[in-house]
Amino acid sequence: MRVDRGVVQNFDWWALGLVVVLLALGIGNLISATYSDASAWLSPTVRRQLVSLGIGTSVLLVAVVIDYRHLERLAPIVYLASLLLLASTLVLAPVIRGNQSWLVFGPIRLQPAELAKLGLVAALARYFHRHPPSEIRRLIDLWRPGLIVAAPVGLIILQRDMGVALLTLLIAATFLPFLRIPNRAWLAVAGTAVAILAVVWTFGLEPYQQSRILDVVDPGRDPLASGYQANQSRIAIGSGGLLGKGFLEGSQTQLRFLPTQHTDFIFSVLAEEWGLAGAATVLLLYLTLVIWGLMVARGSKDRFGALLAVGVVGILFWPAAINVAMVVGLAPVIGVPLPFFSYGGSALLSTLAAMGLLFNVSMRRYMF
Amino acid sequence: MSRFGESIGSTVDDFFEQRVWVVAAGITAVFALFLLRLFQLQVVEGEQHKQSSLRNSIRTVRLEAPRGEMLDREGRVLATTRPAFQLEVIPSEVRRPERTFALLGDLIDTDASGLRATVEGQRGRARFQPLALSDDLSWPSLARVEAHRYALPGIFTAALPRRHYPSGALAAHLLGTLGEISADQLRSRRYASYRAGEQVGQSGVESLLESHLRGRAGGRNVVVDVAGREVEVLDRVEPQPGESVLLTLDLDLQQEAEAAFVSDDPEAELQSGAIVALDPRTGDVLALASAPSFDPNAFPGGMDGPTWRALTNDPAKPLQNRALAGQYPPGSTHKAFVAAAGLQVGVTAPGNRIFCPGHFKLGRRTYRCWKRGGHGEVNLHEALMKSCDVYFYRTGLALGIDRAAGFLRGFGLGAPTGIVVGDESPGLVPTEAWKQRRFNERWVLGETVSAAIGQGFNLVTPIQLAVAYAALANGGNVMRPRVVLELHNRDGSVTQQPPEVVGQVPIEPEHLARVRRALWAVVNDPQGTGRRARVPGLDVAGKTGTAQVVRLEHVEDLEEHEIPRKYRDHAWFAAFAPAEDPEIVVVVLVEHGGGGGANAAPLAQRVLARWFRKRNGEPEPPPPGAPPTSSPPALEAAGAAPGGERDAG
Repeated sequence: MRVDRGVVQNFDWWALGLVVVLLALGIGNLISATYSDASAWLSPTVRRQLVSLGIGTSVLLVAVVIDYRHLERLAPIVYLASLLLLASTLVLAPVIRGNQSWLVFGPIRLQPAELAKLGLVAALARYFHRHPPSEIRRLIDLWRPGLIVAAPVGLIILQRDMGVALLTLLIAATFLPFLRIPNRAWLAVAGTAVAILAVVWTFGLEPYQQSRILDVVDPGRDPLASGYQANQSRIAIGSGGLLGKGFLEGSQTQLRFLPTQHTDFIFSVLAEEWGLAGAATVLLLYLTLVIWGLMVARGSKDRFGALLAVGVVGILFWPAAINVAMVVGLAPVIGVPLPFFSYGGSALLSTLAAMGLLFNVSMRRYMF
Repeated sequence: MSRFGESIGSTVDDFFEQRVWVVAAGITAVFALFLLRLFQLQVVEGEQHKQSSLRNSIRTVRLEAPRGEMLDREGRVLATTRPAFQLEVIPSEVRRPERTFALLGDLIDTDASGLRATVEGQRGRARFQPLALSDDLSWPSLARVEAHRYALPGIFTAALPRRHYPSGALAAHLLGTLGEISADQLRSRRYASYRAGEQVGQSGVESLLESHLRGRAGGRNVVVDVAGREVEVLDRVEPQPGESVLLTLDLDLQQEAEAAFVSDDPEAELQSGAIVALDPRTGDVLALASAPSFDPNAFPGGMDGPTWRALTNDPAKPLQNRALAGQYPPGSTHKAFVAAAGLQVGVTAPGNRIFCPGHFKLGRRTYRCWKRGGHGEVNLHEALMKSCDVYFYRTGLALGIDRAAGFLRGFGLGAPTGIVVGDESPGLVPTEAWKQRRFNERWVLGETVSAAIGQGFNLVTPIQLAVAYAALANGGNVMRPRVVLELHNRDGSVTQQPPEVVGQVPIEPEHLARVRRALWAVVNDPQGTGRRARVPGLDVAGKTGTAQVVRLEHVEDLEEHEIPRKYRDHAWFAAFAPAEDPEIVVVVLVEHGGGGGANAAPLAQRVLARWFRKRNGEPEPPPPGAPPTSSPPALEAAGAAPGGERDAG
């Protein structure tokens, strides 16, 4: 594989710096979230996350080095492989906390849904690349990409992981604004969405899931049971104030009032210990990264690269948005990890692979 | 490059670029919303959330203060504080509930499924909040639970101070009881510093000395984690234990007095009544027993419904303090006062002899002497010794009811003694004016006749009779019964409670001495009615009394054991010793006991004998395989007195 000097010159070093800063903040925050005493400064959780980070860095390098245009051809294979892995969880995976999302190979636990996001984005980018907007004029024209989305989402629903299913659906929806769908059709899309939501609410959600959604509307509804997490999270964030309580000083965090604080509620830890200043900084870093991703899409010299970048923006934006909205009490409690911050190897790997693709597209924008 | 030739030139079009900006704007709007929300939570509502986070993690744990001890006059513990061990569970911390509760059930001898149901049946409680499974774990259970702590995650124990009366029911009426503060008490000024749910003295010394015995609760502010485990102690104010008190009670005499009511024969009917022992020189209450009694250990910490109902509905009324609240006709114990009053007025001069034919006629009515054959010619000394009714009928008439009442009041009768450790009944000393007021009827002379032998309207309580006999014994000083000897203060100082003379008997000491000599004869003369109270080596003086419950004619033809118990007479005995210079007064009342000489005197004898042995430093004979409160072998008490005869005096 040959990497031109020109390519290296065009590498967005400042964006890489952004990623490194986010990763560093993520690890630091995870140290605090899992801190128990000074004798074990790096908790086993942090150690495992560092190992994942090492692997993820190599994955990122690979994703950067291989010209993304090869992915155009490989996309169906990646997509089908991810579907296969997803399907295998239904047979092989143990039930962990109510859902069947992990494949366990000895010490390694893999979440195929994370890989499926990449496969889906690649497959959709390829499809819309080969079928430019001019071909898609009516909603009915979307039935094939619709199937491409439905397969992984359906499998994830079968794993009873509703949060990730929703996330995957939203990532796929990132492509919608870039299609030439008439305004009337948008209304139909919205109407369909509402209808699907109503059906899902009635038949698809467990009572605890319905409770979580009602808790967003009325936070004081049931502060000790279903609303407990969200309530404690709001207390943690709010008590951080303007400047925060300081590293390792967050009482909500250190006394474990926050449930799943190293995964889903990691942002509360940040907001409690670093206050509005820290939380806003991290949000702005995210925003910068996502906007940069959109600029990469805009600057791409080919349609596939642009669509791939759009998909990666979806992979970065949606989990962050859902997670933060949930943690600050604007959305129901949905188990979606915050990229770069939540503990979890599979998510970190898929995030870094997605970043690699973005750098890949970005550095090859002047190659033609 | 050419491989990707189809892409060349098909750069991102205007539409795509336009949509990129739309999406960028949308995403920026979402992040702006997040920032606004963070601003709202952290700055606008920040202070409120800060308070919530403090409330979350900082708990003020109240440290209960142990209550002050009650000691007897020799410093032996009557009431103290022991740790009561609470068993708590934090449901969210329990791992493998099936195993945990099965093991716990085995350890504390409780049904495991019941425990589990208790824990899992809690609705509307956070699962990380501790729930009490037991508030008073036994020592063996505690030891077993502690030994298995490693296998019982989520199970915790905590110690709280709890009132403990090591001798159980001993002196329960005097020491009193604790109970949860009532709504009315909470509203009163006296309990201004109390909180709902606190234990306060509700009767007896516990109530009298509440402010002295109560300690000051401490507290500590701790940082707790979500499981309620203490992570850090921020500050700590030590609780101050309550101050202790030395009572006038003598544990040995109290034990003897209570044991006197317990028959060695387990088949025997339960006896009820009261015994009061006073030091006539100071008014010290050496023993104050009311039978049947109850175990005050059941009160602190809350009593369960069935136990409480059993206590309150018990027809034997164990909660009533008969020594203070029980009012009974004094019977012939009254004659000592009438005799002394007669001497003072001059109607019973020692030389005056009266012939007793066995009855006394007043108008159309005949009043019988308890001895139908009559006592023949008797003077004051013999009349008291033999408890001749006819002699006192005449004396009473000579005194007149109102004049007699003045003397009786002088002895402290007819009014509360001021012992203040419980609800005290006032007793009753009738006068002509009283009867007019009470019944709107004129006093009739026949009532004076009855009153002279203590069978009329007169009512006394055992404590009153003891105070009155103490006045007789000490030469005329009416003492206020003293219960508290010393208050031991927190700073180490001791507040002595001085004896209190509250009245003077309006009778010359020489007359009282004459009555005392007659009362010595009651016990020691071969013809005396109180021979069963004799203690070898000790000059015991005393007076028997038999208080009629129903009119004599209903039962006079029956043998004692043939009379239904509730119609049987109350048996009295009032004694003091040594007769010349008395150091102890003992008053015994046995409800429905029958004749005083046969049924009350032996009880007084036991208490006096115990007191005498103790004074002489004699060792107690070891109780034969019985609990420590069982009776010492009776010292030839029975037998010598004319046994079967029912003395009406």
